[in-house]
Amino acid sequence: MTPLTLENYLIVGAILFALGLVGFLARRNLILMFLSAEMMLQGVALNLVAFSRYRGNLGGQVLTLFIITVAACEAAIALALILMLYRRRKSLDVSLWQDLREAGQERIGDDEPLPPPPTEAPLPHLAPAGAEPVQPKQEESHV
Amino acid sequence: MIFADATPDRWAALGQFLREDWPLLLPLALGFLAVYLLMPQAQKSWKIPGAALGALALVLVGTILIQHDFLLIEGALFYAFAGIAILAGGMMVTQRNPVHSALSFALVVLSTCGLFLLLGAPFLMAATIIVYAGAIVVTFLFVIMLAQQAGLSSADQRTREPFLACLAGFVLIAALVGVLHKNYDTSEFDRLLDRVQRVSRAKTSAEAMVVLGDPGVLPDGKGTLELVDQLHKYFQTDRLKSLAREDSASKPEKEREGMERELVLGYQDLLADLEQAWFARELPVMVSLATKIHRVGIRLRPYIGMLSPPTGLPMSNLSGAPANAPMVGDATGRGVERLPAANVAAIGRSLFTDYLIAVELAAMLLLVATIGAIVIAGRRTEELR
Repeated sequence: MTPLTLENYLIVGAILFALGLVGFLARRNLILMFLSAEMMLQGVALNLVAFSRYRGNLGGQVLTLFIITVAACEAAIALALILMLYRRRKSLDVSLWQDLREAGQERIGDDEPLPPPPTEAPLPHLAPAGAEPVQPKQEESHV
Repeated sequence: MIFADATPDRWAALGQFLREDWPLLLPLALGFLAVYLLMPQAQKSWKIPGAALGALALVLVGTILIQHDFLLIEGALFYAFAGIAILAGGMMVTQRNPVHSALSFALVVLSTCGLFLLLGAPFLMAATIIVYAGAIVVTFLFVIMLAQQAGLSSADQRTREPFLACLAGFVLIAALVGVLHKNYDTSEFDRLLDRVQRVSRAKTSAEAMVVLGDPGVLPDGKGTLELVDQLHKYFQTDRLKSLAREDSASKPEKEREGMERELVLGYQDLLADLEQAWFARELPVMVSLATKIHRVGIRLRPYIGMLSPPTGLPMSNLSGAPANAPMVGDATGRGVERLPAANVAAIGRSLFTDYLIAVELAAMLLLVATIGAIVIAGRRTEELR
């Protein structure tokens, strides 16, 4: 009969943080990288609120409020930057910006080619069947 | 402590950690495999085995971690929200379609807000929903505007180094969970308290001796009671030692600390008395002492694993109890809820007293971010003009 402890909330926060880390490291879409960073912030916020609850001090909640502020600023700046980057390369792929890498680093290539895009089944070509319907004769005006 | 004695032989300590905590590491390893298999990769697609492994990992985590009272509505809500948050987080990372990822992120935010509500932070819940709803709607617009124009792009079909990224993430989780488990786990202490409770319910002397051991077995009639020894160990931390001797700084704290010090000293005295009663084989004394020790032990239980600054420092009490105030558990063993009921008013007071400079800095940051966003995104290229 043990109630929930601080540990439970801290573990959930840690898992959210690490999943965000995996997403940030692995995904190549700029918007997804941004969302992963936001998820890491969520994990940290959860930790702070849990400490606030179990220590009886509102400092954690106030810090979380500041995290939300910073996240809003980050969203504004990051989306503006993503828009700029997209205008340059016409793609959200972060690998297209490899020329910004550190001097002396190897360029990372795509070793595996993408599978060919699924070819769409050709639309059925209806053969004209049957006799062409006879258009009714336009009635002449009796007026 | 895994890291305290890790210096002489790290590999031995790591081996010990793996041996002792494999039930915790097993679901983590399964989760690692699941996320790795589900990551978008150019040629292979392992959706079904990956999803099965992920479900298995979640179920395993559930069976291991749910030792808590599931009948409490709080426990049920916690596990529901935590499960949804973790599941949606994993889905966000592994979805190919960015729209689905954004939806999963919305689910993560919503379930985190549920957890906020469980933690007594209704204002934060509302603020998070409002702010992130805006953020997610804007992100949606971006995804639809930019990513959906030419179908799925190469960026979504491939990942950079998925194996290494997953490895890094899951080693991080294993380290964090391991440290948390070593520091905050109270199951050992609970087991000791259970034994104490069994003594307190003993009808005959023999029953108590079954739990405590027989003093006659000791070689020279001298020695210590093993149960008492172990219970002693728990409150040898600096924090409680300082509680037991130090003088307090401020006046209202003094009262609470006095109570605390009494509690700790009383606990140690009670343990010593229990040992003596055990040598003397006085059952009624043992039973009444064990009852008291059980009660005090449950009140002291929240101290285990709590780090806090030294008690002597003067700290503001405008945001609630100062961080260095001792934490008192109530009879059920959980921390006393000392957060004020008027959450918004209390946060406001805290913001405008303790964190005033931080508030002004945050306002400055918002202004700068607004200007920055306008300047960056508002720049027109020549051909667009």
